Amino acid sequence: MSDIKSTVMTEKDITKVSSKQKVTKILVQVGLYLFLGIMAFIVLFPFYWMIISSLKTVTEYNWLKPSLFPHKFTGKGYVEAFKVANLLDLFGNTLYVGVISTILSLIITVLSAFAFARLEFKGKNVLFAILLATMMIPGELFTVTNFQTIMKWEWRYTYKVLIIPFLVSVFYIYLLKQNFMQIPNELYLAAKIDGTTDLKYLWKVMIPLALPTLISITILKMMGSWNTYMWPNLVANDEEHMLITVGIRHAQFVDEATNQTNFPAQMAAVTIVSIPLFMVFIFLRKYIMKGVSRSGIKG
Amino acid sequence: MAKFSATMKKVFVDGIWNTFCVKWIWETFFVAWIHDAFFINFVCKKLKFDKWKAWVYLSPAIILLLIFTAWPILNTLRMAFIEDFKAQNYRGLFEIDWSKLGFKNFEKVVEYRAFKTALKNTMLLCFLTVPISTFLALLIAVCLNAIKPFQRLLQTIFFLPYVTNSIAIGMVFAAMFNVVGRVEDPNAIVGIVNNILKLFGVEPIDWINSSSSYGANLTVLVIYIVWNALPFKILVLLGGLQSVNKQYYEAAKIDGTPRWRVFTKITVPLLSPMIAYVVITGFIGGFKEYSSIIGIFGDGMAPPGTSLPGNKRWYTMVGYIYDNIERNQGRASAAALILFAIIFAVTMVNLYVSKKKTHY
Amino acid sequence: MKQTGKFKRFFLHTVSALLAFSTVFSLAACGGNGDSGQIGGVTITIPEGGYDGSKQTIKFYHSMGQRLEPGFNSAVKRFNALYPNITIEASKQGGYDDVLKIISTELMANTHPSLAYCYQDHVAYYNNYGVVATLDNLIESDIEITRADGTKEILGLTDEQISDYIPGYYAEGRVFGDGLMYTLPLYKSTELFYYNKDFFTQHNLTPPTTWDELETLCARIKEIDPACIPLGYDSEANWFITMCEQLGSPYTTANGVDPEDFFLFDNETNHQFVAKFAEWYDKGYVTTQELYGGYTSGLFTASSGQKSYMTIGSSAGATSQRPTADSSGNYPFEVGIAPIPQVNPDRPKVISQGPSLCIFNNKKNPQETIAAWLFAKFLSTDIEYQADIALNTGYVPVTTAVMDDPIYKEDIQKADGGDNIAQLSIDICMKQSNNYFVSPAFNGSSEAREQVGALMQYCFAQCVSGGEANMKKIKAAFDAAIEECIYSIE
Repeated sequence: MSDIKSTVMTEKDITKVSSKQKVTKILVQVGLYLFLGIMAFIVLFPFYWMIISSLKTVTEYNWLKPSLFPHKFTGKGYVEAFKVANLLDLFGNTLYVGVISTILSLIITVLSAFAFARLEFKGKNVLFAILLATMMIPGELFTVTNFQTIMKWEWRYTYKVLIIPFLVSVFYIYLLKQNFMQIPNELYLAAKIDGTTDLKYLWKVMIPLALPTLISITILKMMGSWNTYMWPNLVANDEEHMLITVGIRHAQFVDEATNQTNFPAQMAAVTIVSIPLFMVFIFLRKYIMKGVSRSGIKG
Repeated sequence: MAKFSATMKKVFVDGIWNTFCVKWIWETFFVAWIHDAFFINFVCKKLKFDKWKAWVYLSPAIILLLIFTAWPILNTLRMAFIEDFKAQNYRGLFEIDWSKLGFKNFEKVVEYRAFKTALKNTMLLCFLTVPISTFLALLIAVCLNAIKPFQRLLQTIFFLPYVTNSIAIGMVFAAMFNVVGRVEDPNAIVGIVNNILKLFGVEPIDWINSSSSYGANLTVLVIYIVWNALPFKILVLLGGLQSVNKQYYEAAKIDGTPRWRVFTKITVPLLSPMIAYVVITGFIGGFKEYSSIIGIFGDGMAPPGTSLPGNKRWYTMVGYIYDNIERNQGRASAAALILFAIIFAVTMVNLYVSKKKTHY
Repeated sequence: MKQTGKFKRFFLHTVSALLAFSTVFSLAACGGNGDSGQIGGVTITIPEGGYDGSKQTIKFYHSMGQRLEPGFNSAVKRFNALYPNITIEASKQGGYDDVLKIISTELMANTHPSLAYCYQDHVAYYNNYGVVATLDNLIESDIEITRADGTKEILGLTDEQISDYIPGYYAEGRVFGDGLMYTLPLYKSTELFYYNKDFFTQHNLTPPTTWDELETLCARIKEIDPACIPLGYDSEANWFITMCEQLGSPYTTANGVDPEDFFLFDNETNHQFVAKFAEWYDKGYVTTQELYGGYTSGLFTASSGQKSYMTIGSSAGATSQRPTADSSGNYPFEVGIAPIPQVNPDRPKVISQGPSLCIFNNKKNPQETIAAWLFAKFLSTDIEYQADIALNTGYVPVTTAVMDDPIYKEDIQKADGGDNIAQLSIDICMKQSNNYFVSPAFNGSSEAREQVGALMQYCFAQCVSGGEANMKKIKAAFDAAIEECIYSIE
């Protein structure tokens, strides 16, 4: 434990350290890598297990001594997963809900953030403070009533119910407002004098300048739709509108020969769900990390 | 397949366009803007539009917030304080039966066994996972900060669990710990975790199946929740470490301060705002624990045969609320308010403590 | 001027969208009043002359699988030949529970269908809204109606038709505690005892008629193959409810005032049988669907690993109790089917499951309700449709007249424990047509069902090797189940 920190201070002046310190330093470094290696292994193992299990045959998966690497690769799990869980439809639904709610959410967020950042109106600060205060309340408190509201409007088992209630995120508005505030006001005033409309200014100046934040918001919102479970499971758990997470949790993967859970198929479904997330992560890591470190909320 | 293409058609042809919001927003804002940008500007000036322009921009957000946030807050209070509130008996939006006003729902909820189970589980998970994950994250972040080669790669690896679907990966954990048959039986399939433990001479354990103990379930849940919580904490703490002024360490080095003291006297205090932040968000998330349990145990929220009727072994506060939304909204609301009160109190305590201990 | 038009549109859209929101909001505000007191069904007033031949559309929610659809479609054709003006708009809503879910949503806005698949528990739920038509006056009605082909029928059921129903199935319409008829049976399933016939012949065993015999049998089989679990029982809740009925010990009642009145299953007799079966589980005699982690047919049909030689499961699932055939079409073993064991073989009881039909009252248009009744009656009594159910779907028809149908008679001859296992299952079901029962339905009956299932699971998994401690656990489980049932409806 105590070895860990010293490296920070020693790494700069290697030439000055005595040989004894050198040995300690190497030992410390070895220790660090060993610890990080073990932790990385633990973090990665579930992913590894997920992927190799999805490629095994049911028989091999059920070996008393599980194999760490498939002896015989098979894609049957994937075929089964698509068939049983109706993955294509689940993908379609999730994509539909994800894309629409992201677009709408972005529009609403941009307009509101713009109003808060650039326009002057009575009660602006009070309103913003109230909005921020609502962020403290756990979402479960809203769920009970929202459930009744959508029941009353006959929105259960529709796409609307998956999209509309969560369009506004105070957190996104806050994030974008902060970003907009950094753009010098002079630009706006100059634009006004030129006779440029607000929306044109927004489109031509603000949005390009705040693009990284908007991308962060887009990714977080898309990931949110992909991962959401509780609300859809409550209000749209019918076949037609089921989202991917609800779908794979409820799918019954049963092996026909043994009538046991077909774990390879289940793991295949889980892998398929995880892959798009990994792709997004690999290509857009920067934006995700940036958004995430400020939110503290998952998805 | 046919259904899929129908879905696609729905998505790309009818769907997006016909969703009234898109059409509406398109026509009001973009079409109008493209054709009439100049004109609107002119009219707006004439109408003194500027005065309430901000409200027009804010209107979609405000309308939605009024319906889906403000009203629920009021309604939750109403439902929680009306004895035996059931939505089908109260069709009117502001209908209140004054004779039934009181704390009856709270009493019922608090007396109820399942709620006690939920409270106990939530507290236990929270107070176990938040310290463990914070400590581990701090350790990993400090280590990551101290190495050069592979730093980026390891950082990426440690962030990976964040971008996963917690229900889906919960199912992977469940598969890793799953046992088929009775554990004592030499023919039982005991799963990969038990097989790894066997290498260290540990007898197979029933982790999550019907003969599992509460402790075994708890172990699995803690491992999973910590695994899931690490990435965010590492990210924040590492970000904090990287922005710490190196001069403090230089000074400590010249003084010859022992490493442990450097860690406790310099690193931790300097990082304290970040630590406070991850602890507070950790507690807030921890009190809302639910999806990890669904991921591992499914909707039953317990291994089969381990719960007394109605008292699911791994009920959490949120799990209890969701189970009651359909059958008794009054109690669900009361429980939601209790949850809010707890989160609020814990956050306040945390803030108070961190204010005393935090060094900026 | 064009630009003004555009601007108008801009404004109109903004305003209309705002209006849309606020109207919805205010609609919600004045939607309905607290009419919670109205619980039960509606007795409809039959219009003079019954059905007047007017154009009616019946919205019909069902959950038919693919096997059931062809028969249904041809039944609709035959019905339309008689009543060309009644259009049947059938839509599939997923499973039985989905029908309940969707209708309960639609009830809040009065857009529910006029006819639907139902379980008795569902009707008990709909009765919170007072929308289901009671059928007594319809059944008794002797109004004559002329059909499109010139023939006549009476609006109600003839005595012949009533006596034709399998009595237990017909009685299911009256389990709501008020003595009124709410549903017509459509097709049914029940529980059957499946056994490995080859194994039984080889070891000279016979299917048991009583639970005591079953216990001896389990012990015997355990001696022969110590690694096996002799018996699989799919539904814990069914087992509990069936035992209550067979023992004549109380389970629930639909006649109650306070929440405590409805749930009667916490009694000494029931403790005893749960204790006994928990002991079986402990000895490795039996496993259930939840505890095993899959349909127990998996054990029964297993070709390797752990096996079972007997299983009690749904009659509609007969084909899944048959092991997979090899490439030349031979089955590894022959399946035998028998009625489930009894407490008292002289007074046999077996649970009845499967959908019934319930009719929703349309206050504004009584003709629609009458048309829905005509169609429901047609499906429930039409021999051709019922025979199709029996022959092609594995479900049990609800009228005994089917047994005289020549095609049915011929088909049922083929019954065996291999290719024609479905016929065998139906044959056995039809032969015990006097033994069927259903448990009372009321607001809370589905909760009771769920809780006794959970109770069985808990007792099985937690009671280890006899003694006082077990009885304590069982007592606690019963207390918890009762408490939970009451909590759910109070």
